[in-house]
Amino acid sequence: MNKLTGLFFGVFLLFGVSWLAFAAYPYITFAGLQRTKDEATGALAPPGNPGTADQGARVYAANGCFYCHSQFVRDKNAGSDIDRKWGKRRTVARDYMFDRQVFLGTSRLGADLTNVGDRQTDPQWFYRLLYNPPAVSPESVMPAYHWLFETRAIQGQPSADAVKLEGKDAPPPGYEVVPTAEGKALVDYLLSLKKNYPLPEAPEATE
Amino acid sequence: MMKQAAISEREIQAGPATERGELSVVDRSIRVPVLIFFASGVFWLIVASAFWLLASSQMHKPTAWWAFPGVAWLSFGRSYPVFMNCFVYGWAACAGIGAGIWLLARFCHVPLRSSLFPILAGVTWNIGLAIGVLSILAGATAGFQLLELPSYAAFILFLGLLMVGLWAITMFWNRKPGPTYISQWYILGAFLWFSWIYATANILLTFAGAPGPAQPAINWWYIGSLLDLWLTPIALGIAYYLIPKLVQRPVYSYKLALFGFWSLALFGGWTGMTQLMGGPLPAWMITASIVAKVLMLLPVLAVAANYHLTIKGSFEELRWNPVVRFIVIGSMAYTAYAVEGSLISFRSIGQITQFTLITVGHNQLGLFGFYSMILFGAYYYIVPRLVGRQWLSQAMVMAHFWFCVVGIGLLFFDLTIGGSIQGFALQDPQIPMVAVSDLIQPFLMVQNVAVLLLVVANLIFAAAFALIFLISAPVKYRAAAVESSAEATNKIGSEVSVA
Repeated sequence: MNKLTGLFFGVFLLFGVSWLAFAAYPYITFAGLQRTKDEATGALAPPGNPGTADQGARVYAANGCFYCHSQFVRDKNAGSDIDRKWGKRRTVARDYMFDRQVFLGTSRLGADLTNVGDRQTDPQWFYRLLYNPPAVSPESVMPAYHWLFETRAIQGQPSADAVKLEGKDAPPPGYEVVPTAEGKALVDYLLSLKKNYPLPEAPEATE
Repeated sequence: MMKQAAISEREIQAGPATERGELSVVDRSIRVPVLIFFASGVFWLIVASAFWLLASSQMHKPTAWWAFPGVAWLSFGRSYPVFMNCFVYGWAACAGIGAGIWLLARFCHVPLRSSLFPILAGVTWNIGLAIGVLSILAGATAGFQLLELPSYAAFILFLGLLMVGLWAITMFWNRKPGPTYISQWYILGAFLWFSWIYATANILLTFAGAPGPAQPAINWWYIGSLLDLWLTPIALGIAYYLIPKLVQRPVYSYKLALFGFWSLALFGGWTGMTQLMGGPLPAWMITASIVAKVLMLLPVLAVAANYHLTIKGSFEELRWNPVVRFIVIGSMAYTAYAVEGSLISFRSIGQITQFTLITVGHNQLGLFGFYSMILFGAYYYIVPRLVGRQWLSQAMVMAHFWFCVVGIGLLFFDLTIGGSIQGFALQDPQIPMVAVSDLIQPFLMVQNVAVLLLVVANLIFAAAFALIFLISAPVKYRAAAVESSAEATNKIGSEVSVA
């Protein structure tokens, strides 16, 4: 037998099985996921993402948020996530069916963000955090994202989404700090992160 | 003239006449492409070092001026992926391809008719990576771990890979008839596996728009295979060639070597999912990966036993040989890496370690402690044979060695201890996240120091590599070669495979 042919077949056959299991299988099965309908209320779950979420997800990727923040909640017997109030139930494949890009993440230098839009509903909180993390959480090791904001002269009325900054962060009088289009998209995305609807395959953990 | 003289001098010590004649012709014919890949590897190692130091400084003190706060393209979210990509696709891949094609050419005993293809591949690879790295800095990342290079850059890289891969297969096809050796299998397998995983992962994730929940599975299948079926077989192939060569004895057991190869081929593609423990994937995927991680101990122990039994008895006389040192430390790190890998893949342990610095330390043990150490050894062995000069300074090689060993040792133990503390703290919901950050702060500082040591090591290595081209070593060193016992016979491999 030709050695090269043997090597080719051996290498591809053995490896092909893992490719089928871990790449082809999820690609095909997860494409067929369907929403569930709550019999009582008629609500569909998951409800779907707002239109701006994809744009914000690009900013999330570009700034590498997922190198320190995860986006999945483990079951009660698989970690402390639920006790840490990062979610009421574990996340399952269906939770991510509408996401163009999924950032599960493998590091938790920062908090899990699966339900951050449920914990924090005020865009100002996110703007202040991104502009200067220690202003919101004094001992934070998160870097500041100044490039998602611009300081500009106030034209007439102050902008509605001007960031409320205090102390040395405050802009000079007559100026305001406003999020750029990217900054707004990112915060819209973070606000959209809430997997707080019920799913039959992931019942809420009971004590 | 100088070069010619140096080559023939070593050839005098080589095997039978026909053998050494062929050898030098083969070596000379592959010189340029191997050196292009080797030089690219060193260049990207230095770029990676700069961003590694930056990223680790930013983890330690994000507000310090040397962390460049407020500069988008130098922020942690970009410096970290740039470091990883330069390290994996710049240093590790270029060094591996260079050493791989050198080994294949040596074994095939056929001088290249044309080295145009691998040269073109080297140029293409560098262009693709440079475009990709600039894109990441500009924020145009693809957003998947270790697949950050945007699709256009990944496509260029793949063209380069295809060129060198097809060329390698053609060379193997046209080899001088005779038995093959395990190193060839490892290197050819690595090229085949890497082409497959790189193409399919990129196509499924970007061009074919994989559905959201499938993306992490594909991403981590890719990362697991990248480590176990691209970097690992390259390094093992090199060590399987150099160890018998340096001790001038055939490998202890060729059957064991074959068993190691096929069990790696069987389990290597299954190891990635353990990182996603508790994640939104079917439980059987995670379980399959845990089983694979444990079964991976079979090929690892087979390789470790084989290396150990081959080198046993000769280690004392070779302990001052830098090539042996790097390869022995690299092989030991491989065993440690695999044992740790299977330990932290158990659900009970993994749920504590999975999001912590332990995984960072584990990956560095594999990428630097195992893979890079063996590749450093390969450089120290191969480059003098291609350039026709000896390394300028033994002291420099030793300094490189010790900075590597101390640096990676410190980094590993620091991240493992810090990561354990972090893991137990994360597991306790009473401890707020900022308090967890406080707990690991000292370990991030030590990480910064360890990375600095490794960066110094890389700089010494780069300087030694540059100097061998610039300055011809004094004659007295040439006799007391960096590896004195070297060029015995090139047939060690082939003889064994007959048995």
